[in-house]
Amino acid sequence: MSAQPRPSTLTAAETAEPRAGDIALPLWIIVLLFLLLYWGVVYFDQYSGGFSPEVYMPCRSTAELAMYQPPAGAPEFAGGKTVYENVCGLCHGTDGMGKPGQAPPFVNSEWALGNPNRMIRIPLAGLTGPIQVAGQQYNLAMPAMGAALPDDDLAAVLTYIRQSWGNKASAVTPEQVKAVRAEIGNRTQPWTAEQLNAIQ
Amino acid sequence: MNYGPLIFLAAFFALAGSWSGFVLTPQLQIGRLQQTNTIGNPTAAYPVARPGLAQQGLDVYRANGCAYCHSQQVGQTGTVLEIALTDAGTNHPPIIAALLKLAAAPADGPTVLTALPQLEAARTNGGSAMLLDGLPKAFLRSSSREGANAAIKALYAAGAKAQLWIVPVGPDLARGWGSRRTVAEDFLFEAPVMPGSQRVGPDLANMGTRQPNVNLHLLHLYAPQLQMKGSTMPPYRFLFERRKIGLEPSPEALVLPAEVAPPAGYEVVPKPPARALAAYLASLRADAPLFNAPLTVPASATPATSTNAATTAASAK
Repeated sequence: MSAQPRPSTLTAAETAEPRAGDIALPLWIIVLLFLLLYWGVVYFDQYSGGFSPEVYMPCRSTAELAMYQPPAGAPEFAGGKTVYENVCGLCHGTDGMGKPGQAPPFVNSEWALGNPNRMIRIPLAGLTGPIQVAGQQYNLAMPAMGAALPDDDLAAVLTYIRQSWGNKASAVTPEQVKAVRAEIGNRTQPWTAEQLNAIQ
Repeated sequence: MNYGPLIFLAAFFALAGSWSGFVLTPQLQIGRLQQTNTIGNPTAAYPVARPGLAQQGLDVYRANGCAYCHSQQVGQTGTVLEIALTDAGTNHPPIIAALLKLAAAPADGPTVLTALPQLEAARTNGGSAMLLDGLPKAFLRSSSREGANAAIKALYAAGAKAQLWIVPVGPDLARGWGSRRTVAEDFLFEAPVMPGSQRVGPDLANMGTRQPNVNLHLLHLYAPQLQMKGSTMPPYRFLFERRKIGLEPSPEALVLPAEVAPPAGYEVVPKPPARALAAYLASLRADAPLFNAPLTVPASATPATSTNAATTAASAK
């Protein structure tokens, strides 16, 4: 018995695969979603601290964190003061004004405020002979008072000299001292003003 | 229509998004955290691994569920810049005038922190010795670094020496639970980390700075109400052994007041877990000044590390 296909009674619409309707998303929801997205991004921008592992609340950025760091110069400055009063102050005076017949002043001294490479050399090997300091002529001898000091102490005391009693010059870093120490090697001969002036 | 791939992708991105946010990003941020240096003391590593007994105490802390009632994380809501006078010399009137002038500065400048009426009185009748006693003392509070630096310069010009103090503030800190917020570094040697979420009891992040004495910790574990009236902490007496005094009393026996003391001829001795837990509690300190969590440690205080806590613990025994 041959099976004759019966003509379908279903309409085309009934046999088609079911489809989701094309219901348009209301415009206000789209706007709201974008507003929320915008708010989220702004929030991230303000509070994520750039995803830095170092930034914790209540700081919001590395800049704010940096604002709350203790002043870096302070301990160096204080340490320099102690060394100064123990080593340098006896002749140069705790006020940095020097003592007649013993030592020239540091206040407004072009040697203390000038090129640190010249200044670092003086305590490392001493200084002798005529020298002009703050408009006055001196002819004294200074022993190598700083040769035995470690780099960081010497840097601290030189920074103290350059930044105290109204002096305003850049700080001296231990790296600078180390470099100068390496340059002059085992020199024990005191410097003269001409030799120092030749150094850049 | 086949929505399988779409649903798979949607689920994949939803899960991948939260995994990146909760697992991957923190791992990238602090997954390779190393020991750091405390600020102001470049040779002091922080944190330091706990000594052995205290490290065992971490397991006792975990086993007894201490973290269910005690947190170990201190919050901080802000940081203020305070200007402290360290040396006022002998000529006080210009310093007081400078302080008052700074206090009258615009809103973003420094404002007087304490003692405004006394300052006014000192200016009018000249009696300033009391006020400028007990230095270093903070007088001004500034909201900006520039304002603070300018104020310090003005005070120098008036003949005083001033310092900038970084002072963290917040309700937890006001309760005396610490001197700064806790940061990830504080937990570097905690495995597992038990920051806790409930505060039925006080926060323990700085327990070792509040109570460095191991014996008092043992006493508190045996009878919490002795030192803290009305404490809801249960006594952990199973960590102690009540035994007959042998030939001579044990040197480790607790010194107990009459109401909790054992009958005559008996003594209460801490078992090893109790001693480990007490050593752990005494080793808890998260107060070192770090780059992440800056603060000014008063000059008289010694830098605190876990090693200090351990030596204190050892000497207290």
